[in-house]
Amino acid sequence: MAATATPMVSLEGLVKVRSQSESVFELHVPRFAVLPGQMVAVVGESGCGKSTLLDILALVMAPTRVARFQIDPGSGPVCDVAALWQREDEGALARLRRDSFGYVLQTGGLLPFLSVRGNVRLPGRLKGEEIPPERLETLSRRLGVAGCLERMPLSLSIGQRQRVAILRALAHRPRLLLADEPTAAVDQNRARTIMEDMRHLARDEGVAVVVVTHDVDLVMDRADRAYTFATEEIDGQTTRSVCRPLPESSS
Amino acid sequence: MRAPPRPWRQIPALAASHLCHEWILTLCLVVALAAVISPLLVLLGLKYGTIQTLRERLVEDPVFREIRPTQTREFAPPWFDEVSSWPGVAFLTPTILPLSSVIHVVPRDGGKNGLFDLIPTAPGDPLLLENGAPVPVEGEAVVTAEAAKRSGCQAGGEMTVRVSRSRGGRSEQVEARLKVVSVLDPRAGSLARVYAPLSFVLDVEAYKEGYGAPGRGWAGQTPDPYASFDGAVLLLSEPLFPIARTGLIINTGFGRIAEMSGETVHELFGFLPPGGFAAYDLSAPGASITTSNLQAVGQKLRGRDRVLLPYVRGIELMLQGQALHPIGLSLDADQGALLQVEPLPWGGSRGNLPQDGRLLQVLAPASQAPAKGGTVAASFTGMEGELAFKLHLSGSTSLARPVVPVELLGILRTATQRKVLFDPNTERFQMARGGYRGFRLYARSIDDVPALYEKLKTQGVEVMAEVEAIERIRTLDRGLSRLFWLISLLSLFGGTSVLVSSLYAAVERRRRDLGVLRLLGFARRHVFFFPVAQGLIISALGLAAGFAGYGILALAINRAFASELAPGEAFCFLPASYIPLFSMATIFLAALASLVAAWRATCIDPAEVIREQ
Repeated sequence: MAATATPMVSLEGLVKVRSQSESVFELHVPRFAVLPGQMVAVVGESGCGKSTLLDILALVMAPTRVARFQIDPGSGPVCDVAALWQREDEGALARLRRDSFGYVLQTGGLLPFLSVRGNVRLPGRLKGEEIPPERLETLSRRLGVAGCLERMPLSLSIGQRQRVAILRALAHRPRLLLADEPTAAVDQNRARTIMEDMRHLARDEGVAVVVVTHDVDLVMDRADRAYTFATEEIDGQTTRSVCRPLPESSS
Repeated sequence: MRAPPRPWRQIPALAASHLCHEWILTLCLVVALAAVISPLLVLLGLKYGTIQTLRERLVEDPVFREIRPTQTREFAPPWFDEVSSWPGVAFLTPTILPLSSVIHVVPRDGGKNGLFDLIPTAPGDPLLLENGAPVPVEGEAVVTAEAAKRSGCQAGGEMTVRVSRSRGGRSEQVEARLKVVSVLDPRAGSLARVYAPLSFVLDVEAYKEGYGAPGRGWAGQTPDPYASFDGAVLLLSEPLFPIARTGLIINTGFGRIAEMSGETVHELFGFLPPGGFAAYDLSAPGASITTSNLQAVGQKLRGRDRVLLPYVRGIELMLQGQALHPIGLSLDADQGALLQVEPLPWGGSRGNLPQDGRLLQVLAPASQAPAKGGTVAASFTGMEGELAFKLHLSGSTSLARPVVPVELLGILRTATQRKVLFDPNTERFQMARGGYRGFRLYARSIDDVPALYEKLKTQGVEVMAEVEAIERIRTLDRGLSRLFWLISLLSLFGGTSVLVSSLYAAVERRRRDLGVLRLLGFARRHVFFFPVAQGLIISALGLAAGFAGYGILALAINRAFASELAPGEAFCFLPASYIPLFSMATIFLAALASLVAAWRATCIDPAEVIREQ
């Protein structure tokens, strides 16, 4: 099945070099792909480069070198992101984010000056289409936040905020959902439900999901595929981190 | 179903939501802006209002717009046409000599007999119209408050004015009844004056100078034009000795005497002098010969057989559509006999022929003579255009060209130098008046006064005007303007700094949110407009609050000074046109102030900020 479907994201030969004062960090991603409807986990210790990988996937960080970086927006031709970065076509990248991406931040990343409903409706409006009320209704009920639509984000609990964030990331029917430690701020039980919700919704909607987390146990039995990082110190200043698939999960 | 993406539309909405969310900060910012805008508006309003009030007080009183001549000289009618067309001239009328304008008003019960000044007026006279009086027409007058008090006449009543003159040592006077249509506000002047239409005033002036006004039944001379000649031909039965020739013209006004050939005599008069006659040309180069010159020469020739014939050269007359050079000749029977020329019906030359019908005659050449007794239309182009008149055909002549009295040619010659009119009713030539002795001029606005004042001065017309009062206000206006700009410059710095710092701080505070917006799919250029939209919204709110504050303050100021102000005046007032101008300038400045914050917003890297707590 995985072989026949076009990958939603396909990344080959990515190198990202980040230098901070004296130290240099190199991220190498030889091969990374996400298929539609698939949930891909990216696990690792903090500082291993998983956030960097996610930022590159989210099109907000430019890769230093990449052999192939393609995103299939679903409608229209496959996008050559590497070329867009080369051209510094910031508008096209923003368009791609707007039309095809959903993003769940570590702490939700809701805009505090908009109501929950305003937050949830914003990506749809940005895309130029109003999210149908029934869809909003169904999704919010499924995520258990139907009662908080008129509230301001600050008045919600952290768990509720994360669910609203997932609602916002999915409501406008993206092709790719990126989640950055979505359960870092909640307890184990709640983390499991959030993860479960995200997985089911992604599967039902045919959305590709990339979850970055340090909690291996939480995602291992849920993800279709997982990647981790092997970190080694080259010399006193340079650290190299290589992203490779976890064989245990490749079922 | 799918509409085009609308990030542009979302940015102002998001910016507004953000301002709403942080309403306390927004309110403080709006109040801060209003606190800059309101005093500026009040200052601008005070400047405009006071200057306007002061100006209007000047503007309201036409006295400040008057420009008066300070010397008496003659102003020709074309001068009035020219000056009337100058930009800034609202009203111009000729006036008469100050001495000629003195009239008596026959006292009514209780009034004293006194001298009044008669001033011409005309439609549009601001002095009358702006002091609540209509412009009088023929038979009407408007009087000043002082004149009404002294004469005892009232608006709606009648007044009898008496014009007197002394002529030939005798005192003469005429009276006219005028309807007093209005009494002027005392503001219009403290002198006893009577304002009447120019035609009446001119008739009064003419009467004082000895002329009559037939239209009013006032007796007097008519301003007859005098005849003038180019020279005279002296025909003598025997030649003069050279010494006698020279003696002949001494003290006569003639400057030259020369022999004249028979051909020239023929050319001038159509006949050759009889055999043995000597002809002399008496002339005064560059001057005109008048009757008195002829009489002076005539005195010296007493006792001789001679004929002295004045002549005019080059007069072209249109007779029945035909351009002709008629012969100008006047001879009595004796002269005719002496010169062997048939006598002329109008007789001999006496220099000035009375205008009793004898002047306007013509003899047609026998070859082409129509029936006697008809009239011939004639016209002549003089100094002031065409003079059309009729000549009575009195018969025929044996001479080759039409013959007219030489006095007629003399008058036509005068008409080439002075303005002569022909009155077809009385069939008389009249001297038109040469010009006027003064004027009354009102500028359109007080701002036009200095320019007109200077323009008249450069023309050599000595004038006076209330230039100083106007200049004082202009100086004050300039000073206040400078003050306003200085203060607004300071406020500008203050207001802009507040806006720059607040918007910048807002961007810094909302780095993460702006990063999230980028992550959601807004491009840098969209985020750029987030602070710009906020700046515009805040400035619009600040303007509204500023105008409200101004409104309240202006009301308070105008109330406080109400006792000093006439109804309709305001110390603090802004014209409507200032409001959009001021608003646009403020909004433009706010947009400019937001650019720093906008630039800062575009520099935000979402990857850096989204994980900030």
